[in-house]
Amino acid sequence: MLRARERAVGLALLLPGLFFSSLLGSFFAYAGVRGAEAHHPDLVPPLLGLIATGVGLSWMLSPLLAGVSLSESHDVSRLLHFPLPLPTLVAASLVGNLLQPVVLAALPVLASLSLALSRRPAALPFALAGSLLSLLFLLAAAQVSALVLHGLSRRRRFQDVAVFLVIGLGFAMSMAPIVLFSGGARFLGRAVRGLAVSDLAALSPFAWGLLAAVHAGRGEAVAFVAWAAAQAVAIVLAGAVSALLIERIHRGELDLGGAVRDETGRAVMRLPGRIGALLEKDLRVAWRDPATKATLFLSCATPLFWLFVFTRTSGGLSPSGLLALATLVGASAFGNAFGLEGRGIALLLGFPVDRWRILVAKNLSGLALRLPGLATLLVMGSLLAPPALLPAAATVALCTFVVAVGIDNYASILFPVVAARPGHNPYGGAAAGGRGLAAAALGALFFTGTILAASPFVFLAWLPMLLERPVLWLFSLPLALAGAGAVYAMLVAGAAGVLERREPDLLQRVLGEA
Amino acid sequence: MFRGRPAVDHVSFRVARGRFFGFLGPNGAGKSTTIKMLTGLLRPTEGEATIEGHPLEKELLAVKRVIGVLPEELPLYERLTGEEYLHFAGRMYGLSREETRRRTEELLAFLSLEEERGKLIVDYSQGMRKKTALAAALIHSPRVLFLDEPLNGIDPISGRVVTDLLRRLAQKGVTMFFTSHVLDVAERLCDEVAIIDRGRLVAQGTLEQIRAQREVGQDATLEDVFLKLVAADVRREDLSWIG
Repeated sequence: MLRARERAVGLALLLPGLFFSSLLGSFFAYAGVRGAEAHHPDLVPPLLGLIATGVGLSWMLSPLLAGVSLSESHDVSRLLHFPLPLPTLVAASLVGNLLQPVVLAALPVLASLSLALSRRPAALPFALAGSLLSLLFLLAAAQVSALVLHGLSRRRRFQDVAVFLVIGLGFAMSMAPIVLFSGGARFLGRAVRGLAVSDLAALSPFAWGLLAAVHAGRGEAVAFVAWAAAQAVAIVLAGAVSALLIERIHRGELDLGGAVRDETGRAVMRLPGRIGALLEKDLRVAWRDPATKATLFLSCATPLFWLFVFTRTSGGLSPSGLLALATLVGASAFGNAFGLEGRGIALLLGFPVDRWRILVAKNLSGLALRLPGLATLLVMGSLLAPPALLPAAATVALCTFVVAVGIDNYASILFPVVAARPGHNPYGGAAAGGRGLAAAALGALFFTGTILAASPFVFLAWLPMLLERPVLWLFSLPLALAGAGAVYAMLVAGAAGVLERREPDLLQRVLGEA
Repeated sequence: MFRGRPAVDHVSFRVARGRFFGFLGPNGAGKSTTIKMLTGLLRPTEGEATIEGHPLEKELLAVKRVIGVLPEELPLYERLTGEEYLHFAGRMYGLSREETRRRTEELLAFLSLEEERGKLIVDYSQGMRKKTALAAALIHSPRVLFLDEPLNGIDPISGRVVTDLLRRLAQKGVTMFFTSHVLDVAERLCDEVAIIDRGRLVAQGTLEQIRAQREVGQDATLEDVFLKLVAADVRREDLSWIG
């Protein structure tokens, strides 16, 4: 029932969004190209090439960057048992992708782009053909990248490294626009102009079809034919690479297995008690999981990023800025503990361990994984703000953290976002598409709840600063910590009760999806 | 409930302590569902169960202390090594660090997992995973063992070692609740069987009792009795296009 509701919410968010983005994209493509053709016609080919390359790379890596695969990566290697030629399978997968919602939404944009590029009506079909060749290459390239990811997923150690690196790349790519904008419009303009003038995009096969479209629109037949031919060759080559990869995956040549690790002597769980063993298990598993390990490093990068933005936009870090930052870092402590357990949840809840212990261990491992981020925040904060503020900032971060994980226990019991099994697409299932969007909406709701519930303790830490009497911190900080601790204890006791009541439902939910 | 109909319907049985109890049935009959309900992984819509004197609904943790479970699907912690997993399981059952270490060593040696102890479970074969899960189910000396297809994927040598161990455990008073599709193994191991079909029990007792109740010959095997009870028609016409 819940899953059907989530899917409905996801679709309700997705379809109008796609429709409007297609409409907006068409408008901006037309207006942008017309404007550029009128004032800087020489910049149109390199700019379109840059945009096509950016879109192409993002599309190719969309399963890892955005958590949603924009086009389908059909596992056609399963069809190799049938007497079908490889090129037929590759072409069938490409044609199948033409009906994906995002591909359909891209068609009006390409049509309006082609219309804007065509200086005469007779040029329109040729410009459109060039644009469609670009789209077809994009789909073929996405197919190649999906097959590479599939191949990597069959060799776990490669996949682990790839997932780790690509999460970092995704973080860098998503932060890049904000970093560029924080430098001001002039800096951004200079960067884009520099890239356009160098005309590097002409080397990118994502751009060749659009370059053909530009020349078709200007009536330059020879250039059109040359770029269109280059794009067609690139499509055929991508198809050939896909066919080769499919064959190798099918033969098991990319499935080389993993090396034996000798960990003898380090297997004993050293931390005391059941909570200690649970915590140690979580930390060992987290350190060996590339996605969690990447998240650990990103938890250090995020405060650095915000500090950078703060210092670029307001010329420094004010005391209130540091406390606000500490609140944000502490409140973003959502761990989705039971969803991340995956099928292991049947083991975890099969042990005769009090449920509150499980929750506390999960929360402690969440804290342990966020300590590096918190430490980064405090170290950087001490360089940019008065050092006397650091105890208050640490208290604010801890208070919001314990309230956040206390609330997160309910989220992970009632709305777990189930992690994929190792070797499967880590960004598929519950984390993708409409359900991924719905989970994000619920996350925002819980985040707001955390800020509200933690606000009295944040206020206590803030108060001496507002009154300009730092000595009051001697009383207000312990009081805030004790208050947040009491709220946490109540939240855990309540969540343990909810877990006991809903245990079979949670198990069914997670096991049904993992 | 499964797709609107009861997956298990009015199933009632009693297993005496130390018995090797076979719970048999065709695919989709409700065997794994019953095990999931008896081990607290699924909540029945109605009915109750008592294990070693503990009512399941009210004393779930007490039940979990005395049972060991080897599920058909093996949800192990993929990114722990086999040895780490056994250490973790021992600690979860409240064993001391030293006792956990001692039992882990014995189990790894007994199940021929010593060479693979440092490998991550994600790299284990199906048979190794099965043996690791069995080791974890045994580490706290349970009084009742739930075994869902315990011999699937295990090589014949390990299979023999495991069946001998299970037999010895039953002789020492451990109750076995065992499901398998391999009926000759069930016939060799089980003191008593129950046969479930489409969610309902169709027979229960020793093989001799069931033979007598259902009026099948005294030389009928468990497979013969099973096929008769689940009304399985195993006769087939030839495929029309194969000469």
